[in-house]
Amino acid sequence: MATLLTDVNSVLGIEIGSVQTRAVLFDVVEETYQFLASGSASTTCGEPIFDVMPGVIAAIRDLQEITGRFFLDLNNKLIIPSHGGVEGADRLLITLSWGADLDVVTFGLLNELSLETANRLARTLPLNVVDSFGINDRRSTQAQMDALLAAKPRILIFAGGSDRGATRTVGRTANKIAASLHLFNAEERPKVLFCGNRGMARRVKEILENETSYASTNNIRPEIENEDLTQASFDLNQMVIDEKMNSINGLERIAAFSNEKPQLTGIGFQRVIRFLGKQYDPLRKVLGIDLGSAHVTAAFANHNESQQITLPIGTGYGLENALQQTRFADLEKWLPEALSESQVMDYLWQKTLFPNSLPVSETDLQIELALARHLLCMTMRELELNAGLVSRSFEPVLVGGSILTHAATPWQMLTALLDGIQPLGITPLVIDKHGILSLLGAAAKTNPLLPVQVLESTAFINLATVVSIGSKAKSGTVVLKARLQTAAGKVRELNIKQGELASLPLAFGETAVLMLKPETKVNIADIETGKEPIKVRGGVCGLVFDTRGRPLTLPKEQVHRLAMLDRWSKPSNQ
Amino acid sequence: MQNPVTQINPLVKIRRNRILPVAGMVLVRVGQKVTPGEILAETLIPTKHINIDVLNALGLKNTDEAEKLIDRQVGDLVDKHDIIAETGGLFSRVIRAPMPGKVISIKNGQVLLEVESRKVVVQSGYAGQVVEILIDRGAVVETNGTLIQGVWGNGLIGFGPFVVDSQSIDEELTPASLSINTRGTILAAAWCELEESLTLAGSLPIAGLVLGSMSPRLIPCALKQNYPILLLEGFGRVAINEQAKNVLLASAQKEMSLNAIKWDHYSGIRPEISIALQASGAPEVESAAIAEGQKVRVHSSSYAGKTGVLTAINAGKTTLPNGLRTATASVLFQNNEKTVVPFSNFDIIEVEDRFPA
Repeated sequence: MATLLTDVNSVLGIEIGSVQTRAVLFDVVEETYQFLASGSASTTCGEPIFDVMPGVIAAIRDLQEITGRFFLDLNNKLIIPSHGGVEGADRLLITLSWGADLDVVTFGLLNELSLETANRLARTLPLNVVDSFGINDRRSTQAQMDALLAAKPRILIFAGGSDRGATRTVGRTANKIAASLHLFNAEERPKVLFCGNRGMARRVKEILENETSYASTNNIRPEIENEDLTQASFDLNQMVIDEKMNSINGLERIAAFSNEKPQLTGIGFQRVIRFLGKQYDPLRKVLGIDLGSAHVTAAFANHNESQQITLPIGTGYGLENALQQTRFADLEKWLPEALSESQVMDYLWQKTLFPNSLPVSETDLQIELALARHLLCMTMRELELNAGLVSRSFEPVLVGGSILTHAATPWQMLTALLDGIQPLGITPLVIDKHGILSLLGAAAKTNPLLPVQVLESTAFINLATVVSIGSKAKSGTVVLKARLQTAAGKVRELNIKQGELASLPLAFGETAVLMLKPETKVNIADIETGKEPIKVRGGVCGLVFDTRGRPLTLPKEQVHRLAMLDRWSKPSNQ
Repeated sequence: MQNPVTQINPLVKIRRNRILPVAGMVLVRVGQKVTPGEILAETLIPTKHINIDVLNALGLKNTDEAEKLIDRQVGDLVDKHDIIAETGGLFSRVIRAPMPGKVISIKNGQVLLEVESRKVVVQSGYAGQVVEILIDRGAVVETNGTLIQGVWGNGLIGFGPFVVDSQSIDEELTPASLSINTRGTILAAAWCELEESLTLAGSLPIAGLVLGSMSPRLIPCALKQNYPILLLEGFGRVAINEQAKNVLLASAQKEMSLNAIKWDHYSGIRPEISIALQASGAPEVESAAIAEGQKVRVHSSSYAGKTGVLTAINAGKTTLPNGLRTATASVLFQNNEKTVVPFSNFDIIEVEDRFPA
């Protein structure tokens, strides 16, 4: 049941990440939920402490120092609910991304239908699909059983049959799974999540519930043409959390203070992007990307659809996976100085051994920002190949991840995002500086007011609104004249040249009207140039014009490429 | 907040759990002395099964009928051609085992046989004594001696006499460093950048290799070798840190164990060098709060591999040369050079206060 504003005021969110544990406070100020503050500390789930609690308590203590408010009593126990709204908090939410990816296997019927959807379901969360089995599998039944045993999965995702579809094949597959489960010792048998033909749910339960822990959820392919992963993703998240409760010391203790089970960070993220997708232009999509230490999570949504992927690549714990798919050339093209392959790859491979380490010199930072660009490129490619993304026209793009949010300058953040994502059209870029998106999503289920109100607040930083302009004009040619009039009446004009990044000042929170007059043939996705004035919002980097082309192509010759990257390292009109 | 301490200790009590991935049979007893290569426990992991479809093979109508005709029980061992099921009577139809195996399940007229399995063992990894049995899984091995923790390993365990000198430990490992005299020994060098060095070492073969660092290009080659390779500093061209070098030089000619397992940040298991000694050591200090006077090893950025002393924990956040702001400490190196290092860029190697009051 949704929570009314009067029932719950203060909400304490704990985000247990791979590197940092954050304690975040939301409270009602002038009848509106606001993000107030966050504290952080190193996550202690792993060595040397192997207990989540010290990190959680340290993060809460940090929050106490910042807010001057107590959340822990003298025995270090959480004060939930609050005492008179002065001490403690009314509600506790927990999201979690720490820990190795769980091994899962997927079972489906046809490879290109239910099995593919089951794999897509697995990819919405930090899971490792070790093997997949469909009815077209060329391996013998015996070989498939042996492969299942060798996979040692913790969870088995079983999909198949639309809601009025296949029954006998689903039953046969269920029997095959039951026979295979006998190969495992009882305590090592994977849990089964059935997400196929609802009409077969009872029969499948009868076959499997005596063999292992079994749960069913909504059909992920209720009709042949349609996928719906939402509920299944949530229920799968619950199964994963149950596994993590057994393996992370202290998680049960902290979870006892909350009325809700902890959630995986990705679930909250998915929910918030889906919510935002319904608020904006139905012809465009909202894009969210979180560049985490262990994973990159990316989701897009609009009124009609939403998709999410979780990739096992990251900036720290997931860096080794990323480097195994990366050549030096993928990174070299983004480096603003001439660095040798060994300088770059030695630095990054060293970081795989010390995933929490920080860049110290400017060169270190440039290597990490080149990595960030490459991770973003890999993510966009994956969204296009495997998640059905057809256009890079987004409104807005929300980004999190400390490699970006703690980068030295806003312009460095901006160029990293533009180079990696290469959006089209007019795109507001929003930064989740405090890492609270997932917690807002976690709150949404029982407290939908909280994310709505916080998302409208200044907790998120508008980095810039970017106008991406396509043109075949020669580099340096004036392609557009821009005229920006603020709400206060101030007018600024700019001649925009091909091949550049230029900006007009428009402060964070300010709105203005933009008139574009093309000087040559140009294309801005979803906009008819020169017709109607366009309402735009400001950001830390103002209103930015990107005429570098899509896809972004950089010169192969190093000297020209470095010169170009140097030009783009600041607005061309400054 | 407690930070992990990287062990670079000439004498310490070492206690390690050595366990199988699944339940099996423990082969040692409490009090038994073990060598690094000694097998503490073993198990069989099934790798191949065959399914005998009695129901369809005998043309039966239902599973109850099939199960009445099956002559075996779960757990039975069968040889090739042993009868699995028969109809009986004058013209009996018989189903026989196509190969030797063990009956794993009988269900729905199907008999599942396990016909192949793979032996998995857990070796001691250390020269010491078994102090506790972990029922069906393995044992706890304890020893006293030198312990040096590394940062990367190629997954193998090995042991042998450690051969080192003050020159070779500071030099690159090249084919010229290797000769027939190094066969069966564990060697140490500053770094390696040549694949041929690793492959030549494997062909001698040597018993193990300790390096300060290695080019990451060599990772696939290192993973293919049949001897353990352990890195103390990481990747690139970083020599062995002074503290570890001194301990290694003092260990020349001793019998060394290399457990070159890959560092698992989630479980804390990391590659280790150990040398069993007669003397008793104090238990390891596995973690400590960062404090002034501690000896640390910087592991990232331009001072990687250098050891120094924490002279100050800087208040608040410090702005780094690249503009990032973070918690830092001041470190004084042996050459009197001083620098500011983020907390996350060094590890503690000695907890004892070098500047006691």
